[in-house]
Amino acid sequence: MGSSTGRGPRLLAITTAAVLAVGVSACSSSKSSSSSGSSGSGKSGGSFSYWSMWRQDEPQAKVIQAAITQFTADTGIKVNVEWTGRDVAKKIGPAMAAGKAPDMWDEGADVIYGAAAQNGNAKDLSAVLGMTIPTDNEKVSDAIPSKYFDSLPKDPDGGQHWVVPYEASTAGVFYNSADPTVSAAMTSQPATWDDFIKVCDALKAKSEPCLASEGEDSWTNGLWFDYLLNAGGVNFNDLATDKTGAGWDNPAVLKAAQQVEQLVKGGYIIPTYTATKYPAQQTNWAGGKAGFLMNGNWVTAEVAKQIPATWKYGFMLPPGATQPDSMVFGFALTKNAKNVSQAEQFMAYFLQKKTLSGISTEAGNITPRTDIPAPAELADVQKTLNAPKLRLTFDGVAGDWTTKVWNQNYLDFWHGKIDAATFVSKMKSAQVSFWKSQS
Amino acid sequence: MSTATIQDSSRTRRARGGSASRPPVGAAPLERSRRRMFWAFTTPAVLIYVVLFLVPVGYAAWTSLYKWDGIGPKKWRGLKNYQTLWQDPIFRHSLTNTLKILLVGGLLTFAFAFALMLILREMNRKLFARSVLFFPCLVNAMVFGIAAGVLFSPTGPVNKTLEALGWSHPPQWLATEHLQTMILGTLVWTATGYYTAILMAAVDQIPEYLYEAAELDGANAFQRFRHVTLPMCWDVISVCAVLWTVSSVKIFELILMYGGSSGSQPPSDSWNTAMYVYIEAFPTASTPQLGLATAAALVSLFLVVVFTVVLRRLLRRDPVEY
Amino acid sequence: MTSRTMTAARRKRKPASLPMRIATGVVWVVVAADIALIGWILLTSLRDGTDILNHPFGAPTHPKFANYSKVFSDGGFGRAALNSVLVAVLSSVLAVVVAAPCAYALARRRNRVSGAMSMTFAMGLGVPGQVMVVPLFIGMAKVNLDDSQPGLILVYLGLAMPFTVYLLTGFFSGIPQVLEEAAVLDGAGALRTFTRVILPVARGGLVTAFLLQFISAWNETLFAIVLTHSQDKVTLPVALSNFVQEAQLNGLDWGAMFAGVCVVLAPMIALFSWLGSRIIQGMTVGIGK
Repeated sequence: MGSSTGRGPRLLAITTAAVLAVGVSACSSSKSSSSSGSSGSGKSGGSFSYWSMWRQDEPQAKVIQAAITQFTADTGIKVNVEWTGRDVAKKIGPAMAAGKAPDMWDEGADVIYGAAAQNGNAKDLSAVLGMTIPTDNEKVSDAIPSKYFDSLPKDPDGGQHWVVPYEASTAGVFYNSADPTVSAAMTSQPATWDDFIKVCDALKAKSEPCLASEGEDSWTNGLWFDYLLNAGGVNFNDLATDKTGAGWDNPAVLKAAQQVEQLVKGGYIIPTYTATKYPAQQTNWAGGKAGFLMNGNWVTAEVAKQIPATWKYGFMLPPGATQPDSMVFGFALTKNAKNVSQAEQFMAYFLQKKTLSGISTEAGNITPRTDIPAPAELADVQKTLNAPKLRLTFDGVAGDWTTKVWNQNYLDFWHGKIDAATFVSKMKSAQVSFWKSQS
Repeated sequence: MSTATIQDSSRTRRARGGSASRPPVGAAPLERSRRRMFWAFTTPAVLIYVVLFLVPVGYAAWTSLYKWDGIGPKKWRGLKNYQTLWQDPIFRHSLTNTLKILLVGGLLTFAFAFALMLILREMNRKLFARSVLFFPCLVNAMVFGIAAGVLFSPTGPVNKTLEALGWSHPPQWLATEHLQTMILGTLVWTATGYYTAILMAAVDQIPEYLYEAAELDGANAFQRFRHVTLPMCWDVISVCAVLWTVSSVKIFELILMYGGSSGSQPPSDSWNTAMYVYIEAFPTASTPQLGLATAAALVSLFLVVVFTVVLRRLLRRDPVEY
Repeated sequence: MTSRTMTAARRKRKPASLPMRIATGVVWVVVAADIALIGWILLTSLRDGTDILNHPFGAPTHPKFANYSKVFSDGGFGRAALNSVLVAVLSSVLAVVVAAPCAYALARRRNRVSGAMSMTFAMGLGVPGQVMVVPLFIGMAKVNLDDSQPGLILVYLGLAMPFTVYLLTGFFSGIPQVLEEAAVLDGAGALRTFTRVILPVARGGLVTAFLLQFISAWNETLFAIVLTHSQDKVTLPVALSNFVQEAQLNGLDWGAMFAGVCVVLAPMIALFSWLGSRIIQGMTVGIGK
């Protein structure tokens, strides 16, 4: 039988094995950087474990790792960190179930709430607010504006202090104001939705798509609907948690859906958007192939290496929306965390001005501390977060509803497969059966 | 169940292979030592099988009767989890997808595999061709998911080629509405080579003289296929059908890689029951529903059992002796 | 071989008809496409990320081996490859070591007990993995074996039992009994007969069982994703899936991603070009048994 037992293939096999072996040994000797944070210093201040939402080579991870190294040197407390990545959102629930969860983890507040806080599986961190931040000699509650906590949903005990934020963000429409086509189409930021559609028409006339969109992503694309609901005075969370689904009969909801439909049906979205994977369209946008992109403000850091030097950031909200939404990223403690005081010390430590500045200077993002300036390209965005009250992204909708009711229906809608009225009625019926299944 | 397959097909095979029929068991010392060794030899495997396989299956069945997030206490739900599943449009859709993969994918795979088998038998260097076609089934499906992301992207090689050939608007392969088709296509492509090889091995066992006799009787190519090839490898076909049922129900990484990105889950239109189990048990940013997840898993097990029994019934033929 | 002489005979008998010639052409096109696909993946892994998007067909004019050093250092593929080798080899060896005596006993002793046992093992073939994923996750965590190689090895060992026992029972049934009878007459015990007489004869079957189990453990994704997460514990499929995710977040580097794909793919290519016919035989002939 064997047609392929000749010399050639076997040589190939051996070579591959050898290459692989070299790679393996080279790397196993070079690794171990993850435990380097815990080396040195004979002070015995205990330790705590931490699963991070960042992967090791992401800039935020580098900032946190540097802080951990310094923290261990200063306090003797070891940090057993695992750079789990975004999968931490999936891992944390089962890990708590199995009694294997770390003391501390971090994620976006929506994830922390959905995966832990809403069921009382996140510890109350009020104690941290009273702690003094080293070197700055300032209380945590003075450094972090209380509006960040006040905007959060409540856990079963009514608490809002289940996360200590270290990164603040908002979402909106980003564009390159130095793009001649865009600046010709839009002399000033549109004041009404119709004006915005006119801008899109003008771009379309110049055969530049108005919007870039990752067609597969219901989160960024859903922000349009979120903002338009907000413009129409509808609270998204109230809409989603309405077990009767009656909220969907509100004409304001249909109007928001029809406005989104204008974008889809008007042919303003970059033509290939339904057929690509993230971040293909974001890359197209950074390459000047479309005018606007709706996303969280972290997008500036993501495309930093792709944009031309002439690029000038512009930022706006969909017209009619009055308030930028807010999403914080921060540390949380799991319900059965053992090394609470050590982890809490680290939270306060990380909020030091000099440490936290890295989130801005190195990771290119905004911090909740008003005395740390945002990176230049986000200066305008940071100003919008100075509002006295904040509104959560999607008004704080969290949990299974997103997966089971929202994602598929909204994507069908965003891809033009169903019209606004059908979208609204499908959402209503899916939501009713969802809440029935949750009882 | 599948056991029946194995039992009687092994019997027929032994008969067919002509290996020595069992000698009279007269050797008493042999018999005695065998009895002693039986338990010593089987115990380790049975123990591992029970602890790491059967107990988990039982535990899954038990968990499926409770509402449990894994952290708090279990709450008795009886069969309500199954009722919830039935009422959940997403689960129903996942089940439909599973069945689609099983039936449509199965028919396509077998049609292609049969055609390929017939062609390959007549080809030069057929072993080389078979090896190449076989290879994809040894590769983690994620590899093809990633490759497809580039190959089929709007500006990727496939569409560039089609455009060069004069197709001005080639299809948007990766659009969510085509996800199902792409997954099915990839699956059929990887599986066809495997089943072709199985069928070839089965057909190779058919004695040449049967074909010669058929030809002498004036049978044409189709009749030879209908009256010799098909009945002679019927056993193997029925085993293949069962094999396909099991393997198609547990497809996972293909869907994960085709649909998912940056930590978000694949769109629920593309889920099958395996994906549903995974997402209920390990959800992003919400509470694990272990009861519901295990109930969904048991539904897929039930599906396999039903299909196996039905397939065995449908495909039952008296073994052909010659 | 019989099959070859058979086709030769038939070929002489009948010249290929036109439809057959077309069909053969189609098959060769598909074969060529398969080879081209694998070749394209290998070549692409040596190219620059942006270059790939702009010129999907280009050749790596300046082979970029940095893609590989990138996946090995940043993607943690070095450690993951080591883990994959460790887990796949150990679980397969253990599976064969445990299953072989059992399969032998089942093949040789045919009565009601062994029949029921064989049937129970065979029923396991019909259980899709998702049924066990939650219980095994909970169970492994209870005994502190989650996120560890021994845990994953145990899980793979359990999953391997039905198929390995089934496959090997077929092999042992094919070995003539005369051998053991002779050994017993020489006064050898059952164990000695098994290790000294039967195993050497059955070596081919054992190697095949090992290979098939190795392949499935190497590619296994669901349990690996669920059971491991630490960067020094994950296996290649998990590392690949993480790397894809991470690459998406940090600006897509297709070159490095394909390098990652190749690390998963290459051992299978190597194994297949070396032992291809044995693998095919094991996966096909064994099935019909």
